[in-house]
Amino acid sequence: MSEIVLSGRRLAKRFGPAVALAGVDVAIGRAEALAIMGPSGSGKSTLLHCLAGVMKPDSGEVHLLGQRIDTVRERERSALRRTKFGFVFQFGQLLPELPAEENVALPLMLGGTARARAVREAREWFGPLGLGGMEGRRPGELSGGQAQRVAIARALVTRPAVIFADEPTGALDQATGHEIMRILVEATKHNGASLVVVTHDPEVARWCDRVAEVRDGMILPGHAVGRDGMGLSRHVEGREGMGSSGHAGGREQGRTRVLPGFEGSDA
Amino acid sequence: MRNLLELSWRLLRGGGRQAMLGTWLTAAAVAVSSALLLFAVAANVAFGARADREAWRHPVAAAGTPVAIEATSQDHVRDRIITIVDVAPLREAAGVRPPGMSRMPRPGEVWVSPGLAELMAGLPAKQLAERFPGKVAGTLGDDGLLYPGELVAVVGRTPADPAMTASRADQPLTTTSPTKIADFAGKAGDEITVYRIMALIASVLMVVPLLVFGGAAARLTVARRDQRLAALRLVGATPGQVVLMTVAEAVITAFGGAVLGLALYGAAAPLLGRIRMAGGSWFAADLWPGVLPVLGVLLAVPLLVGLSAVVGLRRVVVSPLGVARRQTPPAMRFVRVVALLAILAAVPAAFRNTSAAVVAIVLALAFLALNLVGPWVVGVIGRTTTRTARSPARLLAGRRLVDDPKSAWRTVSGVALTGFVAGFIGLLSPSSDLLGEPPATTGLRLTVPAAQAPALAGQAEDRLAGAGIDARVEVSGSSGDSGDSGRRMLTITLPPAAGAARTDTARTALAGLVPGRIATSPVDERVLGDQLLDDVRTGTLIVLGVSFLVAIASAGITAASSVLDRRQAYALLHLAGTPLEVLDRARRAETLVPLAVMGGGSIVTGMFCALPFVPAVMNVTGALTLLVTVAVGFAGVVGAGALSRPLLRSVTANPAPRPD
Ligand SMILES: Nc1ncnc2c1ncn2[C@@H]1O[C@H](COP(=O)(O)OP(=O)(O)O)[C@@H](O)[C@H]1O
Ligand SMILES: [Mg+2]
Repeated sequence: MSEIVLSGRRLAKRFGPAVALAGVDVAIGRAEALAIMGPSGSGKSTLLHCLAGVMKPDSGEVHLLGQRIDTVRERERSALRRTKFGFVFQFGQLLPELPAEENVALPLMLGGTARARAVREAREWFGPLGLGGMEGRRPGELSGGQAQRVAIARALVTRPAVIFADEPTGALDQATGHEIMRILVEATKHNGASLVVVTHDPEVARWCDRVAEVRDGMILPGHAVGRDGMGLSRHVEGREGMGSSGHAGGREQGRTRVLPGFEGSDA
Repeated sequence: MRNLLELSWRLLRGGGRQAMLGTWLTAAAVAVSSALLLFAVAANVAFGARADREAWRHPVAAAGTPVAIEATSQDHVRDRIITIVDVAPLREAAGVRPPGMSRMPRPGEVWVSPGLAELMAGLPAKQLAERFPGKVAGTLGDDGLLYPGELVAVVGRTPADPAMTASRADQPLTTTSPTKIADFAGKAGDEITVYRIMALIASVLMVVPLLVFGGAAARLTVARRDQRLAALRLVGATPGQVVLMTVAEAVITAFGGAVLGLALYGAAAPLLGRIRMAGGSWFAADLWPGVLPVLGVLLAVPLLVGLSAVVGLRRVVVSPLGVARRQTPPAMRFVRVVALLAILAAVPAAFRNTSAAVVAIVLALAFLALNLVGPWVVGVIGRTTTRTARSPARLLAGRRLVDDPKSAWRTVSGVALTGFVAGFIGLLSPSSDLLGEPPATTGLRLTVPAAQAPALAGQAEDRLAGAGIDARVEVSGSSGDSGDSGRRMLTITLPPAAGAARTDTARTALAGLVPGRIATSPVDERVLGDQLLDDVRTGTLIVLGVSFLVAIASAGITAASSVLDRRQAYALLHLAGTPLEVLDRARRAETLVPLAVMGGGSIVTGMFCALPFVPAVMNVTGALTLLVTVAVGFAGVVGAGALSRPLLRSVTANPAPRPD
């Protein structure tokens, strides 16, 4: 298997009496796509938030490229999310007053890139994602599918190591949802990034390398199998592969721009 | 219909913590607006009540058979004014009596106000009580008094009394000549009329920002409902039902706020009653604006809020997707600026017309025009900021200003409009040296008929000597202002550093020397002017205080609502690692940049509108008032904005934001 980029070990989280996570082990390899499935309230979002450093788990550990990230302070986790991770949500993540290109450029600007350069870099994503000509439109003037593509561009523009997507197609019709999912998976892979995606749609999950089925805060053993047939347990057991060496080169590889070459279809 | 109202009520209560917070904010805003609105109304009603109570001291010549002769004059004790009303009954007329008295005064009687009675008891008779001939027959009731503690004496005389025959026309400001009257209805005095005009102008200056504020509060409810209503619309509610529900919600909230405002005003009334105006404070009843005005406010405010809600909601109703579909708004039209310029051009012409109504209307128009131009200027500022922005915070601020200049204007409009008020009264507030240096002499002056001048001078000296005062009495030419050659002026020079007690003794000794004439000092003659200046200053401070309260409250509320409006986007940005400080900086820039431009512009506009009233250049007091205004305004808005920082923390703290 490929090198493990992100892993969670024995993650537990409760909200008052409600147990959201009851000791979850999970690992994601480089450029791998992991789908998290499960009924509503089973703990999918909580798992994603713990892995992404949005939330501190009550117990357990989260490692990114060999470094523990769940114990660092919020300030640093926030910086981590901004630089190492990208996020795609169901909807409402684009600022309505900014044109699409500035929404995409914003993470770069927050990272210190000059405005003109940030916008130039942002624009490069529009054509390949099938958004040619939409650079100046505002989110309110985009269709749901187009808005999600802009969100994907925004998540990828900083060349993050991992993309987190929480029901990114939940607000779209099925055809558009599949389209967006394909773009998300391919664009992520082409950029050398890993993907963790929460979804309800088994069809959508098929685009991913592996599927983790969550029930009552736990991953069902029998379901943690993706289309390549790799069991989840193997990834978890493969922690010894998570040395601090080896990921730096891969990271550099992620930095080389590899834009997906699919034709832009209208969503 | 019933079900819909029930549903609105449930939505109102069950909207979650943040929705509830928004509802409370709206109710609080409406409460503050209503309380201040009641105050503005009450101020006018109160001056009106004073005018009514005082009207009997401004006699109107009888058309039919007269029942009495009335004349007035002003005396002084220490630094206070005593109003003296001379009344000579001509014939019995049932029911005709001065307000506050149980009957017509008889010759030889004196009726005194409670304040004067107290003072007469407290001071030696030689200094005050002996000035009034005859026995004290009664106490004047509140009906005939301007304010509690006012010093008034009603002196009963015979029609033949020289005081009731000699004209006092040479002293029009402080006296009225004997006038045959048929009743004590009288007419409104000039002085109180001046106060009423000032109260009206002050109300206009306060009410316009209040209305803007109320509108902003209404939008607050609507803004938060946008998404939920759009959802209701999606599940098939008709536009009419959606409108009805929102309006019901806004009106319920606003009515609660208005009732709260009434309670707030009631609680503040005793304090407000202590504000001294035109020499005194207020009767408790003065501060009750009356049942109809109160009902009017309680009904009009929720109505206006509901109306504002309808306007704010049109967008959602038009498209089922509601706020989800937001387009680049069309640029604000330049016509707005033309409107302001047109009104400003009319200012000098309109103000040459001294009619108070015209002035008030033009002032209100200028104010409204400013409010119209505001969003346009904010839009221009936004485009400039966006073009030149280098940091993400600036870019966010600029884009937000371009996106919704009206809401950005709402945040700063309060303070900007206060800038207008400050500019207007900053120029108007007169400096104390308007009246010149305070007089150095401690002497008294008395106008006398020319023929008797030498004899009266002798008598005056005798009287003063009898009272133990070593004074020099000189006869000078005609009393300056009247140019009346039939009169002379007695100048009574008291010993240096005579002191107030000695001066009052001298006044008392000279009382009645010339019928209907009262000896006054140069200091006395300044009392009224000083009082007016003090009152203008007090009024200025009140108007500025109210404007600030409104401005800062509205800045706080709009800042909070802007956070609530965008909580989803903010929470997701935060999730994606955007530092909250960037969002804070953006929100601050989004307020401060337009505030600086619009605040400055409003001050200049206000000053321009005040120019026709003041030929002189701005004085130190005015400049200081302005500076303090600007400083307090900025600090207040920044502070109010900072209050919404915890709110931003709280809405972004929930890691799984869901649209409610
Ligand atoms: N902020 C929170 N406060 C309280 N309970 C929460 C919170 N977030 C999630 N939960 C609870 O944790 C459980 C898992 O939630 P979540 O991870 O959002 O589920 P999913 O995303 O699978 O629908 C649920 O029972 C939910 O009610
Ligand atoms: Mg979820």
